[in-house]
Amino acid sequence: MQFLGRVGTLLLGLSLVLAMCLPVGAVEPIKIGVLGPMSFTQGEGHWNGASMAADEINGAGGVKVAGVMRPIKLIKVDTNEFLSIPDATNAVEMAVSRYNVDFLVGGFRTEAVQVMQDIAMDAKKIFIGCGAAHPELCTRVTKDYDRYKYWFRLTPINSSYLGKVDFILLGTAAAIMKKTLGIKKIKVAVVAEKAAWADPIVNISQKLLPAKMGMEVVGVWRPSPVAKDCTAELAAIQRSGAHIVFTTFSSSVGLTFAKQMGELKVPAVAVGINVESQKSGFWEATGGKGNYVETINTYARVAITPKTIPFYDKYVKLFKQAPNYTAGTYDALYILKEAVEKAGSVNSDKVLPFLEKTDYIDTAGRVVFDKSHDVTWGPGYVTAIGTQWQDGEIKCVWPYHWEKVFYEGTVPFKLPPWVVGYWKNKK
Amino acid sequence: MGLLGVYFRRTVGILRTEVLVLPSRVAVLVFIVALMALPIFTQDYYFLRVLILTSIFAIFAASWDLLSGFTGQMNFGHALFFGVAAYVTALLNLKLGLPPYFSIPLGAVGGVLTGLIVGIPCLRLKGSYLALTTLAFPIILTGIVFAIPSITGGELGLAGLSRLTGSRVMDYYLTSGLMLILGFTMWKITDSKTGIILHAIREDELAVRTAGVNTTRYKLLAFCMSGFFAGVAGGLYAHFMRLAGPSGLEVGLSFQVIIWAVFGGMVTIYGPIAGVFILYPLMEILRIVLDQFPSLPEIRMFIFAALVLLTLLFMPEGLIPWVRDKIETECPRCKVRNVFSRQRCRICDAALD
Repeated sequence: MQFLGRVGTLLLGLSLVLAMCLPVGAVEPIKIGVLGPMSFTQGEGHWNGASMAADEINGAGGVKVAGVMRPIKLIKVDTNEFLSIPDATNAVEMAVSRYNVDFLVGGFRTEAVQVMQDIAMDAKKIFIGCGAAHPELCTRVTKDYDRYKYWFRLTPINSSYLGKVDFILLGTAAAIMKKTLGIKKIKVAVVAEKAAWADPIVNISQKLLPAKMGMEVVGVWRPSPVAKDCTAELAAIQRSGAHIVFTTFSSSVGLTFAKQMGELKVPAVAVGINVESQKSGFWEATGGKGNYVETINTYARVAITPKTIPFYDKYVKLFKQAPNYTAGTYDALYILKEAVEKAGSVNSDKVLPFLEKTDYIDTAGRVVFDKSHDVTWGPGYVTAIGTQWQDGEIKCVWPYHWEKVFYEGTVPFKLPPWVVGYWKNKK
Repeated sequence: MGLLGVYFRRTVGILRTEVLVLPSRVAVLVFIVALMALPIFTQDYYFLRVLILTSIFAIFAASWDLLSGFTGQMNFGHALFFGVAAYVTALLNLKLGLPPYFSIPLGAVGGVLTGLIVGIPCLRLKGSYLALTTLAFPIILTGIVFAIPSITGGELGLAGLSRLTGSRVMDYYLTSGLMLILGFTMWKITDSKTGIILHAIREDELAVRTAGVNTTRYKLLAFCMSGFFAGVAGGLYAHFMRLAGPSGLEVGLSFQVIIWAVFGGMVTIYGPIAGVFILYPLMEILRIVLDQFPSLPEIRMFIFAALVLLTLLFMPEGLIPWVRDKIETECPRCKVRNVFSRQRCRICDAALD
C-alpha cells in the first residue's frame, strides 16, 4: 500500500509539471498553405504577399485564438499549375493531408483551381482564392452551398466585373477625347491577343460599342499572344483612322504592341487590359515608348484605402517590384486573422460564419463577400483601378470621380501629345 | 478440396519453374504484391493519390509504346486519345448521368474512333512527317474545345464528374488493378501473332507487305488499340480528377508520355510502366525533399530533366532493358533468358557467355 501511495504521488507530481509546461511550450502555429506557381511571377506574388502579412502578424504577437496568441506558419505549396494540373492537385493534397494546413490561400489557373477547390472542400478547409477570376468558381457556392461553402474569392474581382471596368475605362477615355479634341464620333480599333479568354471581350465590343456607347468599330485585330512584331497591325490601325485602341492583352504581346505603338507614334490612345503594363519593369522594357498606356489594375501608389500606400511602399522596399493582384494573399491573411479571432477557433465550420460576415477595409478596398462568396464590386466596395504610365511612373487615373469615387492621389487621364497634335491639325 | 489442391500445386509449379528462375519476373511479382498490399500499411490520401495517378499514366505510357514502340508509328500527339476519351467520359457522365463503369469504356471507344480518324490520314506518312502530323491533331482539337464552350466548357473544361468509387482506397485498387490487367493484356498482344506482325511492320514494312500481310489493316488496328488503352486512362483520369479540360490535350502531356516510355525502355510495355512508376513518384519525392530547403529556387524540373538526360546518355535503350541485360543473359541457342550467374542454359543446357 505504501509503495502504491508513493507511485501515486510521483504520478501526480509529474502530471502537475507537465500541466505547467504544456501551455508554454505547445502553442501550435496556425498553418496556412500558400498555393501558387512559385516559379512564375504570379506565384511569387502569392508568396510575397502572404509572407509579408505573416511577418507582420507574428511580429505583433500572432493571432489570438481563445485567449492564446498563436503564430502563423506559412506552407509554400508550388502548384506548378501552368505546366501540370495533376502536379497542382498533388501539391494541394500534400498540404491538406500531410502538412495538415488549417487554411489555404492563392491559386491562379482556373482549370487547376477547380480541382484544388474540390480537394479543399473534401477536407473542409477554408480556401481564399487570390488569382483566378472566372465567375464559375463562385457560382459553385450558390449551386451547392453545403459542399463549396468553404471557398471565397478575394482577388481579382471576377471577370464579369473586370469586363465592366474595361468598358468604363474605354468610355472615360472616349469622353475625354471628345471634349478635348472636339471629335464627334470616336473610332475604336479592337486589338485582342489570340486567346480564348479574350474572345468574349471582342464579341461584346463589336456589339456594345456601336449600339450602346455611340462609337464606331473600325476593325478587329488578333495578334499572337507572343508576337514579336505588330507593325502590320499598327499600320492598318493608323490607316483605319482609329482614335482609341481598345487592348486586351495578358501575354508578352502587350509589351511589343505598346513599344511599337509608341515608336510609330500612332495617333491613338491605348486603353483596356495590358497585363505587361501593370509590371514595374514595363517602362524599361519599352524604353519609355509605352508612355500613356492605360490598363485595369489592382494596385498603384494611391490611397484606395489608408492601408494601400503603406502596403505598396513596404512591398516595393522588400521585393524591389510593385505588387500584382496575386499579392492579395496579404489581405487574405488579415481577413482570416479577424475571422479566426472572432470565432476563437481555427475550425473551418466555426470560422465560416464570421468570414461570411466580413466587412474589412483591405489594401484594395472594402471587402464584403456576396452570397456566392465572391468579393463585392462597386462604389464603396472593391472597384479595381485604372492606371496609366505617365513619364516613367504608374499613375492611378480611374476612378476619377466615377460614381462619386475618388482615391487620394488619383490624377487625370492624359492624352499623348502627338495624338492631340495629330487630331488638332487634322481639323 | 481436391480441385483446389490441384490448382495450388500448379500455381506453385509455375512459380517455381517460370517465375522464381528469373530476377526480372521476381521483380514483377514483388511489384504486384507490394502494390496490392500497400493500403494495408498506409491509407495516406496524398500517397494514394500519387500512386493512383501513377497507375493511370502507366496505362497511358504503355499504350504509346504499343503504337510507337512496337509498330513504329511515331505518335507525338498521344494526348489526343487521352483528352478525347476524357471529354467523352465527362459528357456521358454529366449529360446522360452514366456511371463510371459505363462512361469509361464508352470514353475508350471514343479513343478507338479517334485512333481511326487519326490513323487513316496518317497511313501514308512515316517518320518525322507522321510525328509532326500527329502532333497537330491535339492542337486542332484544343482549338475546337475553345470554339464550342457550350459543349466542352471552354478553358474551364467540364468539372464535377461523379467520383470514380466511394473511397480513395477503392480508387487505388481500381486503378492499380486495371493498370496490371491492361498492362498484361498489352504485353500479351505484343507477344501474339498480331504483335509479331506489328513488330515486323516497324522493322521492314515492305517485307511484311510482300509476305502478303495487309499492313494498312494492322497499322489501323495499332492506332485503334492504342487509342482504346489511352482512352481508358483518359476516362479514369477524368473521373478521378472530376475534370476533363484542355490540359488533357496539351502538347506537354504528349511529350511527357514519350519521356516516361523512352526512360523506362521502349518496345517492352513493362518499360514505360516502370518509367512512370519511377519518374512520377520521383517528382513528388523531390517536392518533399526540396520543401525542407525553402530558400532554394524551384529546381525540381531541372533535377528531373538532368536525371532523364543522364539516364539516356548511359542507358540509351532505357533503364529497364539496361538493368535486365545486367541481371540476365540470353541463351545463344534457344534464346531463353537465364539469371546472369548461370553457366549453362536452364532449358537447353547450352553454355552461356
